[in-house]
Amino acid sequence: MHSLRFPYFPLPKITNVPVKSRPSSPFSVVPKLHKLNLSSANPHAAAEDHCTQVKSWELVDREEKGDHQVAEELAAAGLRAELMPKHVAVIMDGNRRWALERGLSVEDGHRGGGRVMKQIVEICLKLGVKVLTFFAFSTENWIRPAVSGLLFFVFAALPFNFSISHLCLSIGRLIYGPCMQEEVAFLMSLFEEVINSDLEDFKRLGVRMSVIGNKSELPMSLQGLIRLAEESTKANSKLQLVGAMNYSGRYDITQACKSIAKKVKDGLLPLQEIDEALFQQELETKCIEFPQPDLLIRTSGELRVSNFMLWQMAYTELVFVEKLYPDFGEADFIAAVSSFQKRGRRRGGNKY
Amino acid sequence: MDLGEEIQKVYRWVAQSCNLGLFLLWHILHFIVTFWYFALRIANALESCLISSGLLKKYKALCSGKIQCLAIVMDSKDADQTSKVIELLQWLGALGVKYVCLYDTEGVLKKSKEAITGSGRFSHAKSSEKEENDIGIRIMQEAAKTDPLLDQEIITVEFASFSDGKAAVVKAANLLFVKYYLGGEQEEPILSESHVAEALEAIGCGGPDPDLLLVYGPGRCHLGFPAWRIRYTEIVHMGLLKSANYGSLVKAIYKFTMVRQNYESGYEISNLDACNGRYVQSVGEDARVSEAMEENPQFYRTVVKLPQPGPEKAVKK
Repeated sequence: MHSLRFPYFPLPKITNVPVKSRPSSPFSVVPKLHKLNLSSANPHAAAEDHCTQVKSWELVDREEKGDHQVAEELAAAGLRAELMPKHVAVIMDGNRRWALERGLSVEDGHRGGGRVMKQIVEICLKLGVKVLTFFAFSTENWIRPAVSGLLFFVFAALPFNFSISHLCLSIGRLIYGPCMQEEVAFLMSLFEEVINSDLEDFKRLGVRMSVIGNKSELPMSLQGLIRLAEESTKANSKLQLVGAMNYSGRYDITQACKSIAKKVKDGLLPLQEIDEALFQQELETKCIEFPQPDLLIRTSGELRVSNFMLWQMAYTELVFVEKLYPDFGEADFIAAVSSFQKRGRRRGGNKY
Repeated sequence: MDLGEEIQKVYRWVAQSCNLGLFLLWHILHFIVTFWYFALRIANALESCLISSGLLKKYKALCSGKIQCLAIVMDSKDADQTSKVIELLQWLGALGVKYVCLYDTEGVLKKSKEAITGSGRFSHAKSSEKEENDIGIRIMQEAAKTDPLLDQEIITVEFASFSDGKAAVVKAANLLFVKYYLGGEQEEPILSESHVAEALEAIGCGGPDPDLLLVYGPGRCHLGFPAWRIRYTEIVHMGLLKSANYGSLVKAIYKFTMVRQNYESGYEISNLDACNGRYVQSVGEDARVSEAMEENPQFYRTVVKLPQPGPEKAVKK
C-alpha cells in the first residue's frame, strides 16, 4: 500500500515589514528530484542518446545542497534517509527485447541500457547509496545467439528424428558462431566506451569503480582500461560502482574454494580456521565495503537471480520489475527503493 | 503601513484557503489510492476463492509436471505452524508436485519433521543428512517396486536450514582441499563448478535445483536458502504463511508453467513444450552432461548442447 505524504506549505508570518520587502511565499515549491530529459516517444532518439553522446553530467553535488535540502527531497519522494539501502544490485535484463520490440538493432538496445545505467548512478549519488552493482555480463553470456541461428536450434528441439535434429544444429552452429561473436564483441566494446567516456566524470563525482568477475577472459584492451579505472578511482568514497563482468555466483564460490585451498596448501591459512567469514573474504566481492546487497532490482519481469551473487544475497530484498531495462527510469528506481523501505526486514530473525 | 498589513492579511487568507483546499485534495487522493489497493486485495481474494472452487477453467489445465522440484521458504517464526505446513504439502500433492524442499533459517522445520511426515502422506521424508538421504531413497525405491501406484501419491520432502547453505559450502571447500590439494602434487588442480557440486553431494547437502521457490513471510528474500541451488530458480513471494491459500498456490504454479523461460543463454523454450514431454536429444560430446542425465534423469528434462567458443558448458533447461 502506498503512503502519500502531505507536502508542507508554510504560511507567511505577519510582521511589520516595509511594503518594499518581499513577503515569504505562501506556497513553497515542492523540490523536484533532478530528471534527465528522456524522449521515450521517439525510440530512435532514445537509442541515439547513448552514453558516448552524453558529454556532461547534469548533477548537483549532494554535499553542495546541504543535508536539510537533501532530506526534504527524499521526503518529497517518499523515502527515508535512515532506511536507504547501502548496497543496491541491478540485473539489467531486457535490452535485446526492448530493441526488437521497436525494430531497432540489438546494439541500440544495449546502448539504451547504458544510458539507464548512468541515470541510476546519478540517482544513487543523490540518495546516498554507498554501493551500486550492475550485472553486466555473465559467464553464461558468452553464448548469445543471433535470431537467425536461433531458428535452427528451435527446429533442433522439435521431435524430429536424430539426423534432422543434428543437421539443424550443425547449420545453426555455422551461422550462429560468427553472430554470437558479434554481439559479445559489441558488448566488450561498449564496456570500453563507457569506461573511456565516463571515467573523468566518475573521478569528479567521487565514484569508485570496481569490476568483479573472471577478468582474465576479457579482451586485453578492456582489462587495461579496468585496471586504469580501478586505480585512478580507488581513493573515491561517495559511491562504489561495481560492474560484474564475466561473473556468476557459482564461479565466485568456486574460485573462493580454490583460493582458500591454495592458501591452506601454501601454509597461509590453517585448515581449522576456514569458516563463513573467511570464505566471504575470498569471494570476488571482497573489494566491496558492503558486500551483501540490501536490494536487488531485476527488470523485464523475470523472477530469477540468474546465478548472480548467490552467496551474498541470502537476505537481499528482491524486487522484480516488469519494465524492460531501457525503459527503467528514475521513478521506477525510487519506487523500488520505496518498496524496500516499507518492508519489514529480518536478518536471521532480528528485525531492523 | 495599513495597506501593507491589509495585503498581508489577504495573502494569509488566500494561503489558508489554498492550503485547506490542497489538504482536502491530498486526502481525497490518499483515499482513492487506499481504496484502489483495497479493491485489488478483494479481487485477489475473490480470484483465489474461484480458483479453489475450480470455477476458473484455465487453472484446471494446470500442468505441474514441469516442476521437478519446488522449494518453500518460510520465516522461522511461522515454521512452527505445523498444521499449515502439512496443509501446504497436501495442496502440492494434490497438484502433482513430487519433490518439495522445505526451508527455514533456524531449522524449526527439521525439528518438526516427525510431526510433518507422520501425517501419513509424506512418510518418505528426506533430510539433508547423508544417511537419512540414503534411507529415504531406499524406501522410495522399495515402495515403487512393490506398488507403482504408491509412487504417484508420495511426495519426497526435503528439510533444509541455514546450515545447509553457506556452512555446507565451507565444508565442501574443506573436502575439496583434502581431496585435491593434500596429495602433495606440484601442479595446481583445476577445480570447476562440477567439483563443488560433487563435494556438496558428498557431504549430503546436494539435491536438485528447485524450479520454483515460494517465499512465505514478510520479507521478499530467500532467507539464506542454499545458494548453490538457486541459480535459475524462479522466486515468488506468496505473503504471510497464515494467509496462504490453495488459490494463490495454484496461481503461482500456473504462472510459472505458462511463462516462457528465457534462460541466460538467450534461448526461449516454451514451458508448454517442456510440459508436453518434448525431449531434445543431447547432441555432442559433453560427457559430463550425458553422465548427469544417466544418473539423475528426472532432473534433466531437456538438454540442449550449445556450441561454445571456449570451455564447454551445458545449459540445463
